[in-house]
Amino acid sequence: MSEQQAEVTTDYEPRIVAFLCKWCSSAGSDLAGVSRIQYPSNATPITVPCSGSVSPMYILSALKKGADGVLVSGCHIGDCHYIEGNYLARRKIHLVKELLGFVGVEQDRFRMSWVSAAEGAKYSQVIKDFVEDLRPLGPQTKLKADRS
Amino acid sequence: MINIQDMRDTARDLLAKNEVRAVIGYRRGSSGMNAEPVVITDAAQADELVWDPTCFHNLALYLVEDRKFLAHTRAKPGLPIAIVAKGCDARAIVVLMQEHYFKREEVYIIGMSCEGTGVLDERKLASQGIQASNAAFDGDDYVFTTAQGEKRIAAREVMADRCLECRIPYPREHNVVLGEDKTGRVLAEPFAALKRFEERDAAERWIYWERQFDRCIRCFACRSVCPMCFCDECVVDSISFPVTAQTTAEEKANRVRWIERSAVRSENITYHMTRAMHLAGRCVDCNECERVCPVNIPLRLLNNKMEREAREQFGYEPGASIGAPALVASFLDNDPEKFIR
Repeated sequence: MSEQQAEVTTDYEPRIVAFLCKWCSSAGSDLAGVSRIQYPSNATPITVPCSGSVSPMYILSALKKGADGVLVSGCHIGDCHYIEGNYLARRKIHLVKELLGFVGVEQDRFRMSWVSAAEGAKYSQVIKDFVEDLRPLGPQTKLKADRS
Repeated sequence: MINIQDMRDTARDLLAKNEVRAVIGYRRGSSGMNAEPVVITDAAQADELVWDPTCFHNLALYLVEDRKFLAHTRAKPGLPIAIVAKGCDARAIVVLMQEHYFKREEVYIIGMSCEGTGVLDERKLASQGIQASNAAFDGDDYVFTTAQGEKRIAAREVMADRCLECRIPYPREHNVVLGEDKTGRVLAEPFAALKRFEERDAAERWIYWERQFDRCIRCFACRSVCPMCFCDECVVDSISFPVTAQTTAEEKANRVRWIERSAVRSENITYHMTRAMHLAGRCVDCNECERVCPVNIPLRLLNNKMEREAREQFGYEPGASIGAPALVASFLDNDPEKFIR
């Protein structure tokens, strides 16, 4: 991130909710940690049994509770521990993404990635990219519940 | 051109020969020109049945109600139940059977082809300044009975948009069918409203939906009228959370509530988007939700978006065949994944 951008958005740190598959992406984020790879701490990881188990409700709920971005990450196609969970996730998540875009939520607020247990570096890159893409968008207020 | 008497005779025969235990159909409503759903159990009532442009209702809903009632009373009916079904209703019934809600032999489908027409859009009729007491099909026209006498209007001028855009106005799944198969007729390009809407940019789309969702009063009419919304416990209700004298305030406060029932924007939008997701690949575009909405939220846009996405990206047609897997329970090797990093 350039210094220029940092000045503009100093007091805004995007909050990301990351749904990570237990078998790949969660292990991948662990690897990023034990390998001492530096990446932003904006993501709150939530381990789920499989990317296919991520209900659209989780995503909407995270956005409703004020997440600025939501990441769903699972095993590469063909590597699913449950054989086909990530195929199902791919289809379901595509629909969620289209629906969010359709009602006018910025497409960049929602992301999906394949990160294997060996790809700690990729995980850190995914988070870095996501944070950088979220910064210019500012806080997510569209779906956030008004608790005042 | 369907002879209404044929439908009545079919229903009468089925009941007289004790082949079905009831017939779900339409009868003349008690006020105005609109038909209303009716369940008849006696052959003598068969003459009450009507078939006209105001038969909007998706009667598949009453199959679901019947099923729930049977489950509640633990009755074993033995005989199937007959239902008068348009093309869209028949597709809804197929979706329900795809999901094993009931078996094929438990339903007797009296198919009604819409032929060259479809059902009426009351709003379009009102905008033409016509107040009618009765409506009837006549070829590709509607004939309305008004205070000034009979009025004939070309059906496509006052037909519901979803019927104009309908690709299969014929109940493919049926035990008996009345009327000709006019599949392939093109009255209007499908998804026209959706295409127009998608020309707006994201910010404009949000302004539009923000206004729509703000108006929702959470009456749940859309949910009540939808044959696909058959869950015993809806995600917005959480009725299975037992509150007893021992339930602590903390437990009440911390229970999982995905969506609140309060009619505020964030909850409304979550509710409607969840509903659209749950209907993806299941919605047969009967448009009952939009018709019954008291504040006219354009729910068809949301459902159409999901339908088109399923069709164009996954080659999926809802209600095409009983044996087909559900949209989100199946996949293809070449599903789109450009959006994945």
